[in-house]
Amino acid sequence: MRFSRMKTVLCVGLTAVGLLAQSALAAEYPHKTVKLVTHSSPGGGTDVFLRELVKHLSPIMGVNFAVENVRGGAGAKAVAYLANSPADGSVFYGTTPSYINTSLLSKPEKTYQDLDPVVNLFQDPQIVFVRADSPYKNLKEVVEDAKKRPNQVRVAVSTPGSLDRQVMEQLKAETGTEMTIITHDGGGDVMLSVLNGTANVGIGEVAELRGQIDAGKIRLITTYTNQRLKQFPDVPTAKEQGINLVVRKFRGIAGPKGLPRDVVSAWENSIQKVLESPDFKAWYEKDALVPDYMNQEEYKKFTAEFAEGQKDFFQKYGITTD
Amino acid sequence: MEGLSYALQAVTTMPVVAAAFGGVLWGILGGALPGISPSIAMALLLPFTYNLPPLVAVVLLASVYVGAEYGGSIPAILIRTPGTNAAAATTIDGYAMHMKGRGGEALGLSLVGGTIGGLFGLILLATLTEPLSSLALLFTPPAYFAMGILGISVIASLSEGALLKGLIAGVLGMMIATVGTDPISGVSRFTFGNPNLLEGIHFILIMLGIFAVSELMVQAGENRWREGAKPDTGRAKLKLPTLPTLWRLRRAQGIGCVLGAVEGAIPGAGGSVAAFLSYNEARRWSKEPEKFGHGSEEGVIAPETANNVVSATALVPTLSFGIPGSNSTAILLGGFLIHGLQPGPLLFTSNPEIVYGLFGGLFTANLMMLLLGIVILGPCIWLVKRPKPYLMAAIFGLVVSGVYSIDHSLFDLWVVLAAGVVGYIMRVLGFPHLPLILGLVLGYMIESNYRRALLMTNGDHIVFLQDGVSLTLLTCAALIIGVAAVREIRRWRKPLVIPASQAH
Repeated sequence: MRFSRMKTVLCVGLTAVGLLAQSALAAEYPHKTVKLVTHSSPGGGTDVFLRELVKHLSPIMGVNFAVENVRGGAGAKAVAYLANSPADGSVFYGTTPSYINTSLLSKPEKTYQDLDPVVNLFQDPQIVFVRADSPYKNLKEVVEDAKKRPNQVRVAVSTPGSLDRQVMEQLKAETGTEMTIITHDGGGDVMLSVLNGTANVGIGEVAELRGQIDAGKIRLITTYTNQRLKQFPDVPTAKEQGINLVVRKFRGIAGPKGLPRDVVSAWENSIQKVLESPDFKAWYEKDALVPDYMNQEEYKKFTAEFAEGQKDFFQKYGITTD
Repeated sequence: MEGLSYALQAVTTMPVVAAAFGGVLWGILGGALPGISPSIAMALLLPFTYNLPPLVAVVLLASVYVGAEYGGSIPAILIRTPGTNAAAATTIDGYAMHMKGRGGEALGLSLVGGTIGGLFGLILLATLTEPLSSLALLFTPPAYFAMGILGISVIASLSEGALLKGLIAGVLGMMIATVGTDPISGVSRFTFGNPNLLEGIHFILIMLGIFAVSELMVQAGENRWREGAKPDTGRAKLKLPTLPTLWRLRRAQGIGCVLGAVEGAIPGAGGSVAAFLSYNEARRWSKEPEKFGHGSEEGVIAPETANNVVSATALVPTLSFGIPGSNSTAILLGGFLIHGLQPGPLLFTSNPEIVYGLFGGLFTANLMMLLLGIVILGPCIWLVKRPKPYLMAAIFGLVVSGVYSIDHSLFDLWVVLAAGVVGYIMRVLGFPHLPLILGLVLGYMIESNYRRALLMTNGDHIVFLQDGVSLTLLTCAALIIGVAAVREIRRWRKPLVIPASQAH
């Protein structure tokens, strides 16, 4: 509100080219208040992420944001809410893989296909870790040990439908090893299982692991990313060890189907800018989120491919039948 | 000593004291409203903490938790509607006392018991975090399984005289717990393609239906309504327990303290398990076990002490591992993370002012709870003394709106109403309610950890005997079941007239 009043004053009073160009972008956005919907509860992962994002995005887009938690049906409600909202750029959805998974698993009336991906911001790196006193130094040693002692190496992963279970099942298939994969209710339980020896190896994200990493109770041995993480330059990627697996746990924005082009380009421009903003950067680098900007076209393609991959996984492991 | 000075500093600064006061008040109100669980009361407040100083924010959230764990007992005692999951055990003897015109005493017991529990838990939290946090590591999947079995074995002694019916109710509860996504393989079970069932059936919905709605149906069916509406003439007035009374109940309180401390420190167990186990142990060790179920003072103070101990010791895994043991502590963890604080072993050295300030704030919160309780309970008692028809309509409205406010879901409302009908039928046929609740609370824990434990050994059941914790707990469970079985057999041989009210 204050920004737009200031903008009017500036437009009237000044003709400086740079200023005009900046306010022109903001003027294009057709709404003063934009709602961002998440299926996560207040304080949950996506909720915290969106609230942090809008702090930095609001001045760039010249828009006030409201984060709304639409819970229930494992995300199905939030998707339905979006699908029934007007496609005018006033309502968006914070995406994570779970909105595709729920669509595939529970077959609700409205699915991810009733939404249009807008932009992607990040990939959350998935990291393999062990207790500090474990003999394993990298994923290769885990695989070799599993070959020597089939079904004796125990791997802790979070929920059954999660990407971290998926990548560990893929690891078994790729390397032809037999490991025991133990699913849990969430990342916190995975950590406890590794700490108390229920499992030999665990997988998780930096945000959850940081407390224990800093305290030296656990050790990171491999990341499922394209490149090594800036924050942990000594931790090798799986690719480097000849295991060609990368987890793509995305975080982006989607909206109702048929968004006008100017709304989408306003998001594309602003998201690129916010990813460069130093304050926002400091926040996301702390949790080692990897920026992975995709414009709408790329993100649509990515989402379609991702959904195909998930479908195959769910069928192969009997999580769904059709 | 440094910690003590931080705590003192916190206790004497205005914003922290105000946060403790406001948090407890909000928590008691939230806890007392059916449907608003501690975690929802905290979640509603979370967005307002974003701009507060970190210490004030975490004290505020933790105080809500303290207040809500207590607040749940008020409707449990007065209207047989547990405001929170953990207050379910309190409904049994709390409501029975109220029916006998001793509701004021029951409220006093739960308030004082809760305060004692909260302060005891806080002392443990402040002095023994390190050893308590190792408890969490002791509990592996076989141990969790055994704890679930121990919890469920309580059915045997809760349903004395109606063992078969108790077991049927327990199995029914465990069956409800299997609805939703399979915890190990991820397959959808018994969801009939309905996305509302994918996350399972929320425990609180069944509880509100079984306790509150069925009670309303029973009362509505009573003959006396034909005589016209008149106010309740029972002389219920808040009566705090005297010191000799508390001393007499020391054993029940001690049981609540110990079990609450253990259950709180283990992620995933939580207040309801602690409350049920303490209720059962208090009964086992009581000199007057026959009073349980008919308004026993011990039956009120034991679970209420336990669930308030949990509200403090549940912070142990949250602070020392950064792992929330329940929905409520997950939101508290969110409150930490939003302010850039990373709970974990290093928090105690990197931000001692926050940790010890939080302890100081919680101390204030527990004292505030006692004061606020004394002020609030008077009007509460006045409210439930209104003419019954108005009261019952209001309770029904409260339950329905509370349920709807959780997720704005009509489906949830139907679940509550259906559970109410089931609860009514159970009461008519003499099936006890508690086993169903226990089966529901513990079913998921038992199933998922049984399967996890077997994964560890590739299907070998020896794992349950190899694990020390598991072996101990399973032995206790076997003893409980054995004793109950022997009593039941004796009863068959020598038939005995069982009072109908025992089935409640």
